[in-house]
Order: sequence, then C-alpha cells, then structure tokens
Amino acid sequence: MRLPMWLSQHVAALRALLVLTVLLGLAYPLAFVAIGKLPGLSGKAGGSLVAHGSTLIGQAFTDSDGNPIPKYFQSRPSAAGKGYDPTATSASNLGPEDVVDTADRKSLLTQVCARSQAIGKLEGVDGSRPYCTAGGVGAVLEVFHRDGLTGPVTRVISVNGPAFMPTYDGVTVESGTGEIPGGVITPIRGDAPAHPVVPSDAVTAGASGLDPDISPAYAELQAPRIARERGISEKSVQELIEKYTVGRALGFMGEPGVNVLELNMALDKG
Amino acid sequence: MTLLAEKPLEKAKPAAVRGGLLDPAQLWHSLPGALVKLDPRTLWRNPVMFIVEIGAAFTTILSTTDPTALAWIITVWLWLTVVFANLAEAVAEGRGKAQAAALRAAKQDTVARLLKDGEESLIPATGLKLGDVVVAEAGDVIPGDGDVIEGIASVDESAITGESAPVIRESGGDRSAVTGGTKVLSDRIVIKITQRPGESFVDRMIALVEGANRQKTPNEIALNILLAALTIIFLLSVVTLQPLAIFSKAYQAAAPNTSAINEHGVTGIVLVSLLVCLIPTTIGALLSAIGIAGMDRLVQRNVLAMSGRAVEAAGDVNTLLLDKTGTITLGNRQASEFVPVDGLDPEVLASAAQLSSLADETPEGRSVVVLAKNEFGLRESEPGLMTDAHFVPFSAQTRMSGVDLGGREIRKGAAAAVMKWVRENGGHPTEEVGEIVDMISGTGGTPLVVAEHLAGQPARALGVIHLKDVVKSGMRARFDEMRKMGIRTVMITGDNPRTAAAIAAEAGVDDFLAEATPEDKLALIRKEQEGGRLVAMTGDGTNDAPALAQADVGVAMNTGTSAAKEAGNMVDLDSDPTKLIEIVEIGKQLLITRGALTTFSITNDIAKYFAIIPAMFAAVYPGLDKLNIMRLHSPGSAILSAVIFNALVIVALIPLALRGVRYTPSSASALLRRNLWIYGLGGVLTPFLGIKLIDLIVQFIPGI
Amino acid sequence: MAGWLFVITLVIALVAVYRPFGDYLYRAISGNRDLRGERLIYRLVGVDARAEQTWGVYARSVLAFSAISILFLYLFLRVQDKLWLSLGFSAVPTHIAWNTAVSFVTNTNWQAYSGESTMGHLVQMAGLAVQNFVSAAVGIAVAVALVRGFAARRTATLGNFWVDLTRITLRVLLPACVLITLVFMIAGMVQNLSGGTDVTTLTGATQHITGGPVASQEAIKELGTNGGGFYNVNSAHPFENPTAWTNWLEIFLLLVIPFSLPRVFGRMVGQNRQGYAIVAVMAILAIASVALTVGFELHGAGTVPQAVGAAVEGKEVRFGVPDSATFAAATTLTSTGAVDSFHDSYTALGGMMPIVDMMLGEVAPGGTGSGLYGLLVLAVITVFVAGLMVGRTPEYLGKKIGAREMKLASLYFLVTPTLVLAGTAAAFATGNNRTALNVGPHGLSEVLYAFTSAGNNNGSAFAGITVNTPWWDTALGLVMLLGRFLPIVLVLALAGSLARQRPVPESEGTLPTHQPLFVGMVAGVTVVLVALTFLPALALGPLAEGLS
Repeated sequence: MRLPMWLSQHVAALRALLVLTVLLGLAYPLAFVAIGKLPGLSGKAGGSLVAHGSTLIGQAFTDSDGNPIPKYFQSRPSAAGKGYDPTATSASNLGPEDVVDTADRKSLLTQVCARSQAIGKLEGVDGSRPYCTAGGVGAVLEVFHRDGLTGPVTRVISVNGPAFMPTYDGVTVESGTGEIPGGVITPIRGDAPAHPVVPSDAVTAGASGLDPDISPAYAELQAPRIARERGISEKSVQELIEKYTVGRALGFMGEPGVNVLELNMALDKG
Repeated sequence: MTLLAEKPLEKAKPAAVRGGLLDPAQLWHSLPGALVKLDPRTLWRNPVMFIVEIGAAFTTILSTTDPTALAWIITVWLWLTVVFANLAEAVAEGRGKAQAAALRAAKQDTVARLLKDGEESLIPATGLKLGDVVVAEAGDVIPGDGDVIEGIASVDESAITGESAPVIRESGGDRSAVTGGTKVLSDRIVIKITQRPGESFVDRMIALVEGANRQKTPNEIALNILLAALTIIFLLSVVTLQPLAIFSKAYQAAAPNTSAINEHGVTGIVLVSLLVCLIPTTIGALLSAIGIAGMDRLVQRNVLAMSGRAVEAAGDVNTLLLDKTGTITLGNRQASEFVPVDGLDPEVLASAAQLSSLADETPEGRSVVVLAKNEFGLRESEPGLMTDAHFVPFSAQTRMSGVDLGGREIRKGAAAAVMKWVRENGGHPTEEVGEIVDMISGTGGTPLVVAEHLAGQPARALGVIHLKDVVKSGMRARFDEMRKMGIRTVMITGDNPRTAAAIAAEAGVDDFLAEATPEDKLALIRKEQEGGRLVAMTGDGTNDAPALAQADVGVAMNTGTSAAKEAGNMVDLDSDPTKLIEIVEIGKQLLITRGALTTFSITNDIAKYFAIIPAMFAAVYPGLDKLNIMRLHSPGSAILSAVIFNALVIVALIPLALRGVRYTPSSASALLRRNLWIYGLGGVLTPFLGIKLIDLIVQFIPGI
Repeated sequence: MAGWLFVITLVIALVAVYRPFGDYLYRAISGNRDLRGERLIYRLVGVDARAEQTWGVYARSVLAFSAISILFLYLFLRVQDKLWLSLGFSAVPTHIAWNTAVSFVTNTNWQAYSGESTMGHLVQMAGLAVQNFVSAAVGIAVAVALVRGFAARRTATLGNFWVDLTRITLRVLLPACVLITLVFMIAGMVQNLSGGTDVTTLTGATQHITGGPVASQEAIKELGTNGGGFYNVNSAHPFENPTAWTNWLEIFLLLVIPFSLPRVFGRMVGQNRQGYAIVAVMAILAIASVALTVGFELHGAGTVPQAVGAAVEGKEVRFGVPDSATFAAATTLTSTGAVDSFHDSYTALGGMMPIVDMMLGEVAPGGTGSGLYGLLVLAVITVFVAGLMVGRTPEYLGKKIGAREMKLASLYFLVTPTLVLAGTAAAFATGNNRTALNVGPHGLSEVLYAFTSAGNNNGSAFAGITVNTPWWDTALGLVMLLGRFLPIVLVLALAGSLARQRPVPESEGTLPTHQPLFVGMVAGVTVVLVALTFLPALALGPLAEGLS
C-alpha cells in the first residue's frame, strides 16, 4: 500500500527523529559518561569534588543566620536561592537604575550600599560608596517640581528611609518610605571617594550565584582579619592568597581570581 | 502638432541623456488634476499615498473635535503632501496630454476616401476597419496606418516626427508604410488600412503619453512591493508604539501632558505625523511620475514605445545588434584612393574616373568626382558643357557605367565586368589589376576598375578606384562607452566576412555577423538569449520582422513596413538606427531615477527620527532631549518642521523625477558610487538642514 | 587591554579557520558519495537519497520533521516523570512543555524553566540535546538550499532535505562535538548521570552539588548556536563554563559555523569573493557591536555601576567585564542565547546592544544557517535598490530580482519585526508586562528583550522577567514558531524561484556584489532598516534609561 505524500513525509520524519535520537541522544552522551569514568577524567566528570564541596562551586562561609564567620575568607554575595544553592542558580537580574526600595524588596542600590557598609565594618575600613547614605541605603531623593519635570522644586522626599541631607535646592528633605507618584527620582552622588575601599566584586552578586572566586583585591582586604582571627602572620595569609590566585589564562583571558573554598581549606589545614 | 513643433528635435549628446524641463506654470495648470486625484477610489492604487490620505482625513477629524493651531497646520500640510504627490503625477501626465491633444486634433478632422468595389465614398477616419482600402491624393491627410498598395507619393510626416523634409512612400518594398495623420504632398496613393479602429499609432501614442491605463513595469511592481513592505513595517512600528507610550507616561507620573503625549499615549496628530514622515512618501509620490516622464523622454526623441516594459528592458540590454549601413557606416561607400596600374600617372586615372562619374548622381559617383578634385585639383566640368559627351548609365546587366567622348570611351565598374569589356575591346589586362582588386577587397573596400578604349587601340585598364565604407565619426568612442556599460555590440552586414571584419575592426564593435540573412539574425538573437542575454536590434524590412519580434527590444524604423512595426516593440519616427543607443540610455536613466529616489527617501528617515522622537518623548524622559541634535525649538515646531519638509521635498524633487537623474555611461561600480554618494549621503544630510531651516521659521507661528 | 586582546584573538582564530573549515563544510555537504552509516540511516528512514526535491517538497520535509520533533519533545516532557533518570522531577506543565518543545525545535532555546529543578537527565540528553543537533542542521540545510538556488541553472530542485540533515549532523556536528566534549571534560565540565551529591560545606551546611551529562550537551549548545543551558544560569555556571579559557572557546564555537558558512556560499556559487563579501558584512557589524558592548560595560555608566565602581553585578570574577561583554555580544549576534553574565544587570546602553544585535535579524553572523540565509535576503533587498541605481533590472549572482523575489524577500523581512513589535505591544496592552522584575524603562526593556529574543530565535533574556505564566509561554511559543518557520518557507520559496532562472552573464554593467562599496551598503541597509523599525521602542526602553 502506498501512503499519501504528506503522510509518508511524516513517517519519514518520525523515523529520522528516532534514529537520530538513539545516535545523538543516547549513544553520544552515554559514551562520554563512560569515558568520564576513566581514571584521570573521573574526578572532573564527577564534579571536581573535594572533602567539603566542589572546587568549582562557590559556597557561603556564614553561620546559620547568614552572618560571616570571621575566620574564613568571605565569598561574593549570591542570588542563588538563599545563597550558593546549586539547585536554584540565579543572578539578581536587577537593572542599573534599580534604586528605589519597595515594601517587597530592597533595591539593588541599597543592597550594594548595605553590603559595602557591612564589609567596611567587618574589615574595619571605610565602607562608603557613591550614591550611598551613611546609613547604608541608596541615597535617592524624589524631587517634586511645580510643572512636573521642570519648574521650582516644591517638595523633596528621601525614598529609601530617613533624610540623609537637610535640604535640596533650598527645600527641606523629608524622610519617606518608597516612591509616591508625581516626583522625579534623583540619586545623590554624595562625597564618597570615586574608588571605594571595598572592592566592587564584594558588593555585587555574580552571574551564577555560585561564583567560586573573589578578586585578589577583596582577598587582600580580608587578609588582616583572617590573620587576626587565626592568630597567624599576615604574611603567611598573603602567601596563601597568592598560591590560590589564578591569573588570566594565557595572560589575556578573563580576570585574576582567588578560589575561596580552596583558600579557606588551606587555612583550615594550617 | 504645434507642441511638437515647439520642441526642436534635439540630437542628444552622446555623453548624457537630457530630458525635458519643467515649466513652473505647468505646476499651476496641473493643480486641478491633482485635486481630482484625491479621490480615494483612484488613490488606493498608490498604497503609500493612500495611507497618507487616510492619515490626513483622520487628523482633520481630530483637529475639528479638538482644534489647536498645531493640529490644523499639521493637517493642512498632510493634505498638501497628498496634493503634491498627485501634482507630480498630474504634471507628468499633463505634458503627455498636451502632446496627445495636438495629435488628436490632427486626427479628428480627417475624412477617409474609402475605395470599395471601385467606388469612392467619404467616411470619417474613425470609421475605418482593418483591411479597408482608401485613396489619398496631394493635400489629403492619410486617414489611418496602412501600407501603400498602389502608387508613389511624397508625404509630410512632420506631424508625427517633427521632421519637415518630406519622405517618399511607394507600394512594395520597405517604404510602403504610411501613418495616419500625415499628409500627402504630391501624387496619389492607394492605401490598405492595417490598424484596428482605435489602435492606430496615434491612438497608442496618445494612450502612452497620457498615462491612462498605464501598465506598471516589472521593476516598478517589484519596487512597489518593497515600498508597501516598508509602509507596513512603519505602520506597525507606529501603532505598536502606543501601549509602550501609555506605559511610559504612566510610569513617569510627574511628566505633564503635552501636545504630543498624554495619559492616553501619543496624540493622534503626532502619531500620524510620525507615520507619514517615516513611510517612503518621497518615492511613493514620484514613482508614477518617473515612469510617465520616462516614456515622455522617449517620445521627445521621437521614439514610440509600445509598452513601458520595453523601455525598462532597454536598460537591461546586454547585446546590441546594429546594422552596418546607416548605423555604423555612412549610408554609402566613398572613393578613398586612386590606384593606377603599370606606373601610370595617378592623375590620368583620376581624370578618367572623374569624367566617367560626372553624370553619376549616386553618392559613390559623387565621391569619385570630389576625390579627384580634392587630390589633384581636377575641376569638375559641367556635363552639359561637354556637348560631345555621351554618358552610359549604370545597368544591372552591364554592371558598369561610363562616358563616350568621341573617340575615347571610359568605363568604370565591377572588376569582372570591366575586365570583360577590356578583353572584348582587344585589351589584355595585366595581372596587376587583379592583384590591386584583391588587395582592396581584402581590406574591406570595394574596387571599381576604370578602363579606357581609345579608338583604334586596344582597351586598357587604367587602375582601380578604392571605394570604402566610411565609419561615422565618433562611433568608436560610442562603442567604447557601450563596453563600459557592459553592452556588447554586434555589427550585422551583408558583406563578406573579410570586409565585415575590416569594418568591424575600424568601428570598434565587439563582434560582427557577415553575409547575414534574416534567418542568421534570428539565430544569433536566439543564441544570445539562450545565454541569458537581452538583445536589442533595429530593423525596417518585412524580413526583419521575426528577428524584431524575437529581440527583447526591437526598434522598427518608421520608414519600414507595417509588418516590421508590428513586430517590434518600439518605433523610431526619425528612422535613425543610432537611436538604439539613446533608447538604452533612457531605459537605464529611468531605473536609476527610481533607485536614487528610493535611497533618498529611506535615508531621509534618519533625520526625521532625530526630530520627532525627542519631540514625542523628551517630555516623559528628559534625557531623550539629547537626541534633539538639531536643537529644534519645541516639540510642536519639530514635528511640524518634519511634516513640512516631508511635503516640500516632493515638490522640490518633481523636476528631478521628470528630467531623470543625470546619467553618464560608465561601469556599474562607478554609477553606484556616484549615486550612493549623492542620493544616499545627500538623503541623510539634506533633511537635517531642511528641517532645521523650516524650524527656524515655524517657531515664530504663535502656538507652536 | 587584556579584554581587547581577547576579542582580537577570537577574530584571528575565526579568520584562520574560515577557509579550511568552510571548505570542509562544503565538501561534507556537496559530495556525491554516501558513507556506509549514512546509507544505513537512509534505509532506516526510508528515503531515496538520490531523489532531488523541489522547493515545495523540501519545505514540506522541513516542516514535517519539525512538526514531528515538536510533538515528540512535547510528549517527552509531559511524561518525563515516568521515565528513567527523571531525578524525581514531575511532568513538565503543559504550557512550559509547549514553550520548551517549540523553543528547542526552533533553535531558540528560550528557557521558561530552570534546568536544575525541572528537567531530568534523560529529557536533557535524548530530548533537548537531540534538538540542539537537528535544529542547527535544519538551519544549515535551508541555507544550503537557498545557495543552491543561486547556483542553479534552470532547475526545479534544491537537493534533498534528508540527505542534507544527515550529512550535516553526521559529518560536521557530531565529529566536532566528540572533539569538543573531550576538551570540555578536561577543562572540568561534569559528564555523569548522577542525581547530585550532598556535601557538607566547610561551615557545616549542606550543599547539593548537581550532576548530569553536561559536557556533551555544552558542545552542541555552542556549536549549534542553540544556547539552552543545562542549568538555569547557563554558561555562567562553573560546570558549564569552568575557566576563562573555556569562556573563550565557547565564544569561538558559537561563532565558528555561522562565520564559516559564507565560504560554503562562495564555493557553491563558484566565486569565493562573494563569500568574502558576505562574511565581511557579518564581520563589520559584529566587530562594531562587540566594541560598543565592551566599551559601554567598561565605561560603567548608571547609578548602580557608579556606586559599585564597575558594571560587575551579574558577572563572574573569573571572566571579568570585557570578556563577559564579548560573550553577550557574540551570543546575541549569533542566535545562540547562551549567557555567561546576566544582561539584565548591564548598563543601560550595554544592555541595549544585545537587543540591537538580535534586532539586526540575527545576521551578523546569525545562527547556524539562519544567519547566512537572513543576510542573503538582506543582500537581495540591497541588490534591488543598488541595482536600480546602476540602471539595470537588479540581479544578484546572475539571478534577476523581480517582483516575485522582492515579494518573498519583503515578506521575510516583515515577519520578525511584526512578531516582535506586535508581541511587545500585546504584553503591555494586556498588562502581562507586570511580571517584569524591574520598573520603568528597564521593565519595558525586559519585555522588549523577551519578544525580540523569541522572534529572532535567540533565546537569551533580560532574565528578571517572569515568563513561566501561561500567557507568556503561549505568546512566546507562537512568536518563536512563526519567527522560525515563516522565514524558512519564504527562503525556500525564494530559492525555488531563483533556481528556475537562467543566470544572466556578468558584464561591466552588472552591479559588483563583492566590492567594499556593496559590503558597506549591505551593512548600512541592515543597520538603517533596524534602526528605523525599532528606534521608537528602543527610545522608551534602554535609550530612556541610558540617556537620563
């Protein structure tokens, strides 16, 4: 019996798909799963596991309340689940102008400011940043003009909490909670240094939420605390940092980074 | 008629195609026509302008319900945009119509003298049917297109060709076709009508130049598709903007309502303005005018195209078949040299040749007399003064001509014939004559042997006149140009291959077809077309008809037969075979004008965006004012300036559309580079300047 | 400096492989001999490998194969809980299964789900990854069919889809992936069937280290410009992209086929210089885009990047800013959509670049095959305007661009913008834009990005937006489906129309389509058409945000 053209084409399509599924979907990956069992590859194919995790996967070095454990180098902030959760990988996905806190969530700016201030306190350095208040929130005003976007200023509200400056354009700044319609959101630069002491990777979440690395600068910042907490010389900490710093591949690919888990494990080993 | 007379026949310079000029008064005269064209039932055929009209109608309603100065001024300019577009078409048509009217006037008065069963009756020319037989005598206007079946007459064809010299029309042969509307000057001819009623040449010419039921050409259709696609995309881009605008306005609650945007989104007036500025109105408005003007330019050069398609095809031609005689060479051979035999004084030969040619009024004969005069100072004697001379005319039997001067007989003619004559008269021509004859034939010339027979002596050959085809001056340069344009020229000749090769080399054509029969011509055309090439040719004889029909562009000579004219898709009223080259240039110019204005139209949009986007949205997001790089006065003035520029640019470009973009024959890359710079870059920059200038003026209008 | 070197070495590598790899592709596709394995497949499938197909039959074969693929994948996802290696995940909900099936078959790989918490290993490797292979092969096959149309002399046929599909898969994609998988495994990507390992972290907490056949899938994900990540965070995940050099390699892989296909084009039409012209257009647009993206990100404008001191939110330390930005540009210039950093957190203008890249129509260099056919359609439109300007009926490679060709090219060019703009407007008109995480212009960008990505079959996202709602899954599924197969049918129709023509011989009067002037003009037409179509929407999104 001859099938009509349109039907025979679909039968051919189904057969082709099944043949290719066996070849590409089973034979090919399973062969490599088998190859992955070979000595030399098995460790990597299995996930680069070490005693306390995977060297490729970052982890949080905090207590159950989320507070940093001072004897450990701290990883970057993470947006994966409650932090460094490989079953819920994610970035923050907050935009560059996410500056107004709402009842549901803190703005990205406030998160950055808060982290910076917390790290400053932990490491005993200046945690101030541009566009951040001394209170560790985003320094953002909502400015009301007589004619909407232009004209004299009629009212000024600090949207992320207490007023952080007395007046703006001669008008007293009110404390507020969140944005109310009708004003213009105006971030205030403030007088923080252009290059804050706390490095940029320390105050931002990575892409995966599992970033295993921190910048050498952030490691340097943490070195005195580690030395103090562990009662070892800062120099030996520095040496360890250097040891676990991976430079740019071939000298131009990527950025230098320090693998935090390996570094902390080395510290624990003594 | 009068109009044609006003347009002197300009022989276009080979370097560039020129077109007609635009008389500003024509704009004014065409205005009523432009207003009539606002009727949506006719306008919908032009989708771009139809959209503009709908937009204008929409803003009219909006302006009525919510009248503001800005709204009304924009509305007026949107209507003007449509009117300007119609004006372009109306002007182009108007010029054609004027010509048509003159032609029609010539036609209407005509009365035909119908010959039926030997009886003559008078009927109006419009009542003539195919196959009717009519009589025309001196002073009669020929009532319709047809073939002369009896008699010979001189005919004034200036009504059609603009050429005042009368032409001869006779039965049989290749000069038998007559055209309706022309006038018999002498004698009487009987004509068999070859046209259907309403399909005469003049009718077709009227229809073509009027632009009525003008068929769109293939490239025009393709271009229209592109323009329609662009229109749809901008329509979409504008319509879908609305929900985004509403969202943005709601988010930026502080932003006040402006004439451009409020809580319901972008206002209707501004949205329509944006749309009209973005869709390709410039080319959309001028497209049909360009097409009509292209036909018009052909008509101005006395070429009638049967369809716009043929004009476009002319631009695409790859191979040009040119008849040697009349096109590449002057119509006739000319004496170029006297070659004496046996150490004879050349002057003796020249003198004998001159004497034998005195009564020979053919161009060849004249050229012998002239050459002898120029080379040897031999003064031409009047035949009438030589009382004893008896001139022997050329005849097909003897194939020679000459003169008998008492005891001296001189003959000149084809080598074989004259040699035979020499032998018959007791002479023994030397080998040398044969050698000279062969030498001349070998270089493509025609040898004429001159011999004399003095009474009592044996006849002897004096020498040979070298008749040569004279290539028209400037032809080599012309063919070089063709080559640069990528067009191959093939010379068609009945000459033998050796002669043909010599002339081809001298004229600089790419190839030749020697000893060409009509079948050979047809075969050549088919072969070229097999290779994907487009072929153009000219022809006049009935036996050219199959080739004319086969060629992609077949230009029939007006002097030719009706069969030839029917077979071709163009007729050259001047019967000038060189015209083919100009036709090709006009075809190219037509396409270039469309391409250039399309490019201009699209690139214009860049500047319009920089005017309108900040005008619409800077009120919501002040940062977008950074895009206002022209620093236009206000949102209202920016939008208005863009709309006004958009309308005025149509008027500004009407002359260009009618005249056509300047075309200099050159390679494709050179043409592209030039046109891209002028119309691409010009299209980007002009509106920046134009909109800014208009803004400097309209900002003083109160309420803007 | 290191960042620019990163870009330059990529360019050098792509230039180096253009000829050898392009020639290899050409030989693989156009040979006359069938390998033994291929003959076996033809027998199993039941097709005659020597039978030439007209454009209609070719198109119906593509559609039949894709329809069966969608159906098969949909059912696979719906029953995964009953299958081996499901890791305990439940059946994928209907709207996500529909969206995902369409997404992978259309080479889009838009992911409305999170890989590590939705998909079992079997579905990943035997369902999703198989489509990664074959959807890429379908794209290349269609491109090759179009090129055959240009090269043909008065024929009705365009080749045989089943042969093209088999050859591209077996001779090109699979062997390359075998090699790449090995390299990836050496670099540290996982390749196992483990359901994951619970480890105790240094601080005593528990962390679930996931497993899976990642390396084998990662290879085809990049090579086939698919981009569907095994895990939610795609190539930012250390298991999918463990080092800075794998990052370089992944970018190279996702660019290599699209950038080498013009060589195949040049070889098939018998004029390598035509291939150089097309690749030059791609390269100009790509290099400009990469440079702008890297430049904007390094400049780090915007309140938060200024507060932070650099645009490092959503970027991994081991990659750094310039390399991440390069990846972002490359993944959106091709229709890959894999990401190693999160575009949503880019600076406003840096984040606009990926959107613009996609809006170009995925032609610089675009997806596997789809990039070449997309650019050839744009070249046809350019040839039309340029051809008129040289005074001839436009022709490209001897084929006249007449009304029918323009109709098909114009429709092709209309499809994607229509889908993108109509979809975006519909989201706002129906209020579905509210699932965007960010507010104001940035929220608008998230919606615009989603439809741009789906319509152009890219698959990357401004990932802040929540799109696993029935409305979004349905709408984006439709947009992906139409955005893939309408153009394919139009391209094949165009190929059929071109194949029937007798080529016009080239002369001095022919528009040269291999010279810099034409290259610049195609690039210009591409940019101008995009700018004109999308500028209003961009003005209210990234431009409003970036220019404030």
